[in-house]
Amino acid sequence: MFELEQVLHRVQKPARYVGGEWNVVRKDWDKTAVRVAFAFPDVYEVGMSHLGLQILYHVVNSREDALLERTFAPWVDMEGEMRRRGLPLFTLESHRPVKDFDILAFTLQYEMTFTNILNMLDLAGIPLRSEQRGPGHPLVIAGGPCAFNPEPLADFIDLFVIGEGEEVIHELLDLYLELGGHRLDRQRFLHRAAAIAGVYVPSLYRVEYHADGTISAIEPVASGVPARVVKRVVRNFDRAPFPVKPLVPSLGVVHDRGMLEVQRGCTRGCRFCQAGVIYRPVREKSPATLLQQADEIIRHTGYDEISLVSLSTADYSRIQEMVRSLLDRLEGMGVSVSLPSLRVDAFSVALAREVQRVRRASLTFAPEAGTQRLRDVINKGVTEENLMEAVSAAFAAGWTAIKLYFMIGLPTEREEDLHGIAGLARQVLARGKEMGVPGNRLRVTVSASSFVPKSHTPFQWEPQVEMEELRRRQRTLRGLLKGKGLVFHWHEVEASFLEAVLARGDRRLGRVLEEAWRLGCRFDGWSECFDFEKWQEAFHRAGINPARYAYRRYAYDDLLPWDHIDAGVSRKYLVLEHKRAMEGKATPDCRTGVCPGCGLCPTLEIEPELLEQVEKNASG
Amino acid sequence: MPRYRIEYRKEGMARFISHLDLVRTLERAMRRAGLPLAFSRGFNPHPRFSLGAPLPVGVMGEREYLDLELVTALPEDEIKGRLNEQLPGGLEVTRVWSIPEDAPALMATLEKATYRVDLRLVRAITPEDLRKIIDGLLALPEIIITRRSGDKKEKTLDIRPGIHALSGRVEGNRVTLEMCLAVGSRATVRPEEVVQVLAERFGLPVADEQPGVSRTGLYCGG
Repeated sequence: MFELEQVLHRVQKPARYVGGEWNVVRKDWDKTAVRVAFAFPDVYEVGMSHLGLQILYHVVNSREDALLERTFAPWVDMEGEMRRRGLPLFTLESHRPVKDFDILAFTLQYEMTFTNILNMLDLAGIPLRSEQRGPGHPLVIAGGPCAFNPEPLADFIDLFVIGEGEEVIHELLDLYLELGGHRLDRQRFLHRAAAIAGVYVPSLYRVEYHADGTISAIEPVASGVPARVVKRVVRNFDRAPFPVKPLVPSLGVVHDRGMLEVQRGCTRGCRFCQAGVIYRPVREKSPATLLQQADEIIRHTGYDEISLVSLSTADYSRIQEMVRSLLDRLEGMGVSVSLPSLRVDAFSVALAREVQRVRRASLTFAPEAGTQRLRDVINKGVTEENLMEAVSAAFAAGWTAIKLYFMIGLPTEREEDLHGIAGLARQVLARGKEMGVPGNRLRVTVSASSFVPKSHTPFQWEPQVEMEELRRRQRTLRGLLKGKGLVFHWHEVEASFLEAVLARGDRRLGRVLEEAWRLGCRFDGWSECFDFEKWQEAFHRAGINPARYAYRRYAYDDLLPWDHIDAGVSRKYLVLEHKRAMEGKATPDCRTGVCPGCGLCPTLEIEPELLEQVEKNASG
Repeated sequence: MPRYRIEYRKEGMARFISHLDLVRTLERAMRRAGLPLAFSRGFNPHPRFSLGAPLPVGVMGEREYLDLELVTALPEDEIKGRLNEQLPGGLEVTRVWSIPEDAPALMATLEKATYRVDLRLVRAITPEDLRKIIDGLLALPEIIITRRSGDKKEKTLDIRPGIHALSGRVEGNRVTLEMCLAVGSRATVRPEEVVQVLAERFGLPVADEQPGVSRTGLYCGG
């Protein structure tokens, strides 16, 4: 404790490491049968903004026989102090070493945190590779969106959870206790766990390769281990456990407000979007549940703002009614309501206008592509008219700055699509002028990220555009977006390249990750830390050519590194969607009642939980 | 509107909460406590309360103060009780009393702060040694130090006028210093600066570690 306190005086933002926040759960270590350390491989401010952490904190700590404490990636200054003094990675609740826990559970939110996972294992004093761990080491498990292509981490993680964790975590903890708790036989546990739906134990699968390095087979090596691991989905979502007493950080975090999850899943079917696939089907909560949860969250946290979170909140069936009821209840208490993302239409702007109490300068929309042709390719059901209606409504309501998100390097992108981006930005600017927005306040900001092909999407077979070409396209846009009132932001292409390598990588990348970590790569998602030269050196040392991962075009019948992980959407459908993309054909939103046939509902024996449907079923 | 002065402690791990984050933490506790808070006017209303001199991160506060406005009067004990039920560990209200609505703002009236600094020494010294060291410092007509502000600009200043009292006692290889230093908008002297002068100019053999620093009181004028 004294060591820790000494260290805290020497680092930036020491509150990142102290815990003790409101609603923290502290349990009696000696009286609790199974102890889980939940690790978020990024800084506190990012991790504490993550709803999944709050949900699992609540779910595990609700059990009498289990406790869950948090740990985050120490920032570089803290890591330095910890290593200098031999202070191991610890949890915020009890300040105990992570190594003392039964289970260490990482959440995989984005690929660029992977080196932090290795670093945290090392700081904890836990051997990096699963095969090097034995009795006395925690089980190292992981879940979250990046678990849908777990292969780059296969060497380091004992067990992955594929899909939603609320239920399967109980099954894992029960099994752990059944097999003798911390005295259990690791191998026996992993073998038994592999039979739990949604659990993937990478050491129980063998990967074989063709002479050209492509994958020829991925097979279980033991009986009782499924050939394909199907994702977990929470049914009856309205009743799913939800944290109404969330931890209230004592340090300003990225999303510093109450979070109310109005629905899970998104029906829009954008073809680049992995979240749209892995969180299927859409499941809405009832207004009654939401209003009650909102009341409790505010009462237990003292937040002055509550955010309606989901992948596409404006799509929630009763959004307008919901927003009004919330405002009626909360406004008197000085609590505001916020919407995290806006759909590109006038309806969404009207909603944003209704909830805004603090006039923020800008509104953000994501048309994603600059021409109708390319928006049809990606199935982004947004037209130029939608956008112009939305921005007109925004200007009319008093907003003076608009942010537009686009992707460059999307499949089939041509020069005219880049010009389309600039054209849209200029049209928005012109509309602002027409509508009398003062010239010194009128601003259109274009942010262009680079497309990264992701597993389980119709674009999983597509190559990423090469770095040099992406740079050229960025230069083109920079040239086209010069002028008063226009601002252009872009992303480092090297970071997008690495993301693509890891997103579609296989287990051979484990060596690269280890080399990169040894070379000092940390916090690769932070531009001040990202060092591409070190990564190049790591690829070189591991004898791996990263371009083969990022730039490769897969054939439909190639075996993909993640083909044994089943997100519920059929391969046939992804192929069909890819073909429709190349033909520029749109696919309807499944919320409209026209089923596009993704295959998920029959495979998982589930149905979308839409309010109208749920009520119809209930009434007869 | 009824106005109250609240005395509170900030200690343990809560001492690592920054001033800005403390404001947020207190506001949330007040909301949870369901106090009839008075809000500022304007587009983005905030509860009307204000803190005394910011406490540096890592320093404990034994008697810190804030002024709070409510829309309806409440018994002082009730305010204290309701807040204490809602404050995270390390923060505790110790006293609440009502003050005139037109009492001057806290920040404007504070001029002095007292501190207790616990130091470990690398070798033992006698009480006589310590007395000589302290007397040596107090005998200086001026003490010029350089201070680095946030943006790394250095400035030199004389901290001697801001050292109102300094005493200490020795227990083996530990020394406890009591200081009364200037605080507030005009001149602030930091306890670490005094320790540094004692170490560098008068040979107090302090160990290379962070001393335990507590602010033990805040005082108006005089």
